[in-house]
Amino acid sequence: MKRHVRYPLYFIAPAFAVYFALFVFPALSGFAYSFTDWSAYSEETKWIGLDNYRQLFSEGVLGLAIKNTLLYALVVTIFVNLFGLILALLLNRNSRLGKFYRTSFYTPVVIAPLIVGYLFTAIYNPEQGILNEALRFFGLGRFAVDWLNDSRYALFSIMLTELWRSSGFAMVIYLAGLKTIPQDLLEQASVDGAGAFRKFRNVTFPLLAPSFTVNLLLTVINSLKVFETVLVLTNGGPGYDTEVFNTLIFRNFSRGNWGYATASGLVLTIIVSVIAVTFLRILRKREVEL
Amino acid sequence: MRLSSLRPRRIGREALLLALVAVVVIPFYMIAVNSFKDVNEAARFRLTLPSDWRFDNFKEVFSGGKIVKGYFNSALISLGALVVTNLFASLASYSIQRNNNRLTNFLYYFFIVGLVMPVSLVPTIKLLMGLGIHNTYQGMILYYSAVLLPFTIFLMTGYMKTLPRELDESGIIDGCGPLRLFFSIALPLMQPVIVTASLLTIVSVWNDFMGPFYLLTDGDKWTVTVSVYNYVGRYSSDWNLIFADILVVILPVLILYFLLQEYIVEGMTAGAMKG
Repeated sequence: MKRHVRYPLYFIAPAFAVYFALFVFPALSGFAYSFTDWSAYSEETKWIGLDNYRQLFSEGVLGLAIKNTLLYALVVTIFVNLFGLILALLLNRNSRLGKFYRTSFYTPVVIAPLIVGYLFTAIYNPEQGILNEALRFFGLGRFAVDWLNDSRYALFSIMLTELWRSSGFAMVIYLAGLKTIPQDLLEQASVDGAGAFRKFRNVTFPLLAPSFTVNLLLTVINSLKVFETVLVLTNGGPGYDTEVFNTLIFRNFSRGNWGYATASGLVLTIIVSVIAVTFLRILRKREVEL
Repeated sequence: MRLSSLRPRRIGREALLLALVAVVVIPFYMIAVNSFKDVNEAARFRLTLPSDWRFDNFKEVFSGGKIVKGYFNSALISLGALVVTNLFASLASYSIQRNNNRLTNFLYYFFIVGLVMPVSLVPTIKLLMGLGIHNTYQGMILYYSAVLLPFTIFLMTGYMKTLPRELDESGIIDGCGPLRLFFSIALPLMQPVIVTASLLTIVSVWNDFMGPFYLLTDGDKWTVTVSVYNYVGRYSSDWNLIFADILVVILPVLILYFLLQEYIVEGMTAGAMKG
């Protein structure tokens, strides 16, 4: 039989062209711009070598932004996955209200992070916000602090916002993973005398590995890119206590220092790629093939 | 009802779940109820019903036409991006999955990198200016297409794996060329994943803030989410108006989600699991 080209490669061309031109090319040209003094203030753009990076690393804000972003990503990743997993385990049994619960927990995921930010600005209001009102109502008034303007709590409050926003996303991925676990394996474990905890540790947990990979990777990457909630809730403050990468980039951008902003963006790109690759390596190793 | 379903443990679990639902739902209720209050009452963020229902808040929000314009811009840009991403991604995923050779696998991973990497927004401004499409709808549509193609290709390639090659055979026997084979056999079978991808595109564009915030200096092209940002900037202490504005902006997404959540939730998890 004569072999025809049934699945031509040129089918990939349009997608490749758009993706390359508007995603890959800006990243590459950004690399070049980061070595220039491209700004709002002069028509000409000069090559200035490593000056942007030298300034970036000597300014100190970068260090704070790295520290805050990593801390934020670490805490958010751990707790979003913990909450997501707990919710998924709670919903995995057939319950009449299962769908209602799932629908509710996922709802915050479809709301714009910017709007979630405004919502929590209201919730965290120290005098009238419903969080402090609720704490006072339950007799926990001494925990009713100024969530956003006190540097001890500001970053924590942003993390809490993200927990509210994206635990539902982790939940649905864990739920999908739990559905793939064969029921007879769990029954066999019960027959062998395993309790609920041992069944989880020895059967469910290892078989959930693909869901862990997906979830951990997605949460880490998304939390490194956090922007809107920080912009709205604290705008990096008080001081630079909640400054993260994307607020730093935006600050430099709005000051008109575009080459400098691009250099800060590139540092974020490098950190994200290093973390993503490391994560994938570690997680892929411990995945169990079904 | 079975007796076992009344055990205290089960009741405890349901109570815990209902409490967690309250944590999710109460903030939304807070938005809704406060959007009907007057300025002073709304600033207290109480969950009580308004003492005086002020429907005028919504009239105020819609006055000036910013919201309607924002709706229009969001709809136009997301529809444009939806057509481009679906068409280009389905073509690409079809070829990538069916060929499954070194080159197409490399291209697949090249697209997937875009899922991880942050967008380089500042250089994108320069690029759009260079192409003469800065501050235009076409520019925004192409930008979103580029950003959303990686995930859509990821989703669709995963879905193509579930469509056996044997399905293509009927078309091959009929003597279809590659394009007809794609459009008459593969594309109709991809309908569920296209629905999912379209919904994700609409929701992403509707909710995105960074893109238009950096790329659009022309206020006439702003999408709804940016209009909220500007609205809050202008009425920073009028929480009744802010809540009304937020309600008007999130309502379409919420309705879409409640009506078509199976596609959104299951489509997303299916994509995430099969990759």
